[in-house]
Amino acid sequence: MEEEEEGAEEQQRFSHQQRLKAAVHYTVGCLCSEAAADTQVQLSRQAVAAIAEVTFRQCENFAKDLEMFARHARRSTINTEDVKLLARRSNSLLKYITEKNEEIAQLNTERKTKKKKKLEAENKNSVEPAEAGGVESEN
Amino acid sequence: MEGSYIPDSEPTTRTLLRRLLDTEDPHTPRGRQSTRASARRTPLETPFSMRLRSQTKTTTRRHSHGARSIGRLAHIQTSGRLKEQTPRTLLENILLTAPESSMVVPESALKPVPAPQVVQSPSGESSRGSLELQLPELKPPTTLAPGLLLALGKRKQRLRLSEFQQGVDQELPLSPGPLTEPHGNAGASSLTSSLNLALATPPVPQSVQRPGLARRPPTRRAVDVGAFLQDLQDTSVALALPGDSLRTPVATLPTDTVLEDTQPFSQPLIGRSPNVRHSLPCPSSSAERTVGRRTQSSGPRLQNNSPGRPDQLLVGKAEEVDALAVGFPNTSNSSSGEDGLQPLQDGVGEEAEDVMEESLSMSDEEEAAGAQGSARAEEPKTHKEGTEAEGSWGATEAKELEGPSRDKDTAGRTGSPELTSITLEFQQARQLEFLEPAQPTSTAVLPPEPLSARRPPRARTAGPRLRQDPYKTGLSHYAKLFSFYTKMPMEKAALEMVEKCLDKYFQHLCDDLEVFAAHAGRKTVRPEDLELLLRRQGLVTDQVSLHVLVERHLPLQYRQLLIPCAFSGNTVFPAQ
Repeated sequence: MEEEEEGAEEQQRFSHQQRLKAAVHYTVGCLCSEAAADTQVQLSRQAVAAIAEVTFRQCENFAKDLEMFARHARRSTINTEDVKLLARRSNSLLKYITEKNEEIAQLNTERKTKKKKKLEAENKNSVEPAEAGGVESEN
Repeated sequence: MEGSYIPDSEPTTRTLLRRLLDTEDPHTPRGRQSTRASARRTPLETPFSMRLRSQTKTTTRRHSHGARSIGRLAHIQTSGRLKEQTPRTLLENILLTAPESSMVVPESALKPVPAPQVVQSPSGESSRGSLELQLPELKPPTTLAPGLLLALGKRKQRLRLSEFQQGVDQELPLSPGPLTEPHGNAGASSLTSSLNLALATPPVPQSVQRPGLARRPPTRRAVDVGAFLQDLQDTSVALALPGDSLRTPVATLPTDTVLEDTQPFSQPLIGRSPNVRHSLPCPSSSAERTVGRRTQSSGPRLQNNSPGRPDQLLVGKAEEVDALAVGFPNTSNSSSGEDGLQPLQDGVGEEAEDVMEESLSMSDEEEAAGAQGSARAEEPKTHKEGTEAEGSWGATEAKELEGPSRDKDTAGRTGSPELTSITLEFQQARQLEFLEPAQPTSTAVLPPEPLSARRPPRARTAGPRLRQDPYKTGLSHYAKLFSFYTKMPMEKAALEMVEKCLDKYFQHLCDDLEVFAAHAGRKTVRPEDLELLLRRQGLVTDQVSLHVLVERHLPLQYRQLLIPCAFSGNTVFPAQ
């Protein structure tokens, strides 16, 4: 019984994995065709498939590393710091990620300020009906 | 007669022989003596050997006063034939003269002596003496004095005992291995030598010479090393300044003053050092871009230099160090800003060969600029002797060395070979010293990770001088392992490339460790960081833990070698 369930789960996982792999393969194919157009260099299908496979496995490694980094910092959530640590090898990638991180941080702060204003307005509104409700109940 | 001139109280050869004399009858026939002596010899031999080994020096020292015994012996021997003497007197003579036959120089004493000995010694019992002589393996001493042994054939058993002792004395410096076999032979040789000594002057001066030549004053270098290293570090930092922005700046003026104070010929150095510094960064900056050009340009220069140099070997080694040195400014491209020393290592790996040639070209330029060759050569050499190699040190050294050689300055050249030899030794010592810690890592293919991982504090805190030589020697050690595992002959260029890659790899590992520690909000690398690193390497898995790896690849004796390195505060200097 359990084995069957496990087998079913495995099959599910496998199919899920296959779908993910297919998605990656498709994306890699698009990128490779763009690169081929830029550099006038043709890429065979086997090469594209190899690149897709390597990308998929590297993504698995990245996920494991991210989890290890988060655990190393005694956190249970993966942080942008973990991502930066992961991308430290490639300077350009690191720069890109840090820039993106700053952008996102700015957006977050902006959103927070907006949300605060909204919340304050909402609180005022909600307090009055609550008070009214309370008064009514008392009565 | 025995007691008068046997003054020793220690259980040495003399006492043992004395016991023999006391126990033995003075006029026993040979047959009985042989049986008794053989029976007694074996138990005595081992204590003899033990005591001789422990007290050879004391015996040699004590027997310096054997001059009077020698005189007496000479008188005895010259006065009458050996056959007429009693065994006791013979043994006593042996006792007196045994230490004279120094363990240090048995052959030299034997060779000149045998001629007169053969003349003097009567040849009565040729057969027995020859037999005794032929049995052992030592040829020259035995063949030299067969006549003596023949004369002493009667007392061959007792002589054998004394021979054995003397032979042990002689055997010890020659070959401390099989003492049992060449007993008689050695004994015969020593006996002959001793008897010869009785007739001739003892070879005391000869024995003294050998130990004197063998030793060299080691302490002198140690002091120089420290001072010179400091100078080199200063100069290297000053040299690296213009080329590397990341490096912590060190004022050039203090270094100049330091150099002035320490060097005997400060003036010429002042004139040269700015040239060195200015000229170095310019080509080094271009070194990164144009590797091939440099190799070609330096090629003819190398060829020009080679014919006129007595110290090519040293220059070859110095070139490596030069590469390290000049590599300092080249490492500006590596942007690990935490430690200015890191670029050093990068530069070392990348630009080793290129910079080496650069330094050669540099020295050429210096030559053209205006050379005070001898003075210059002497300055750095006095410093070079004592200190560990630093990049700038290597650069200046190579330049200095090349300077005098190219100037064809005889004064510089005469000075250079001595110092270059010393520097050669120093480099070898450095290499050896680093090879020792590097050897534990060679036990397995995997160990580089834990070893290098545990070394990051050492790499960081130690000065650049420490990192250059031990690092480079360690890399060369790994490269040799690599060539061994390939089971194929490898080109030098390939080996150098392997070294470069290894250098980058280890640097990367150390950087990772730092980053991991910082990621956890710490400034100290801890085992957790190591575990994370090895997990990323795939060495530590859910099945294999860190401790398992340690037990597998770092046995206790290697760990004991590593622990002093770590606990010394990462200041490890090569043994002189």
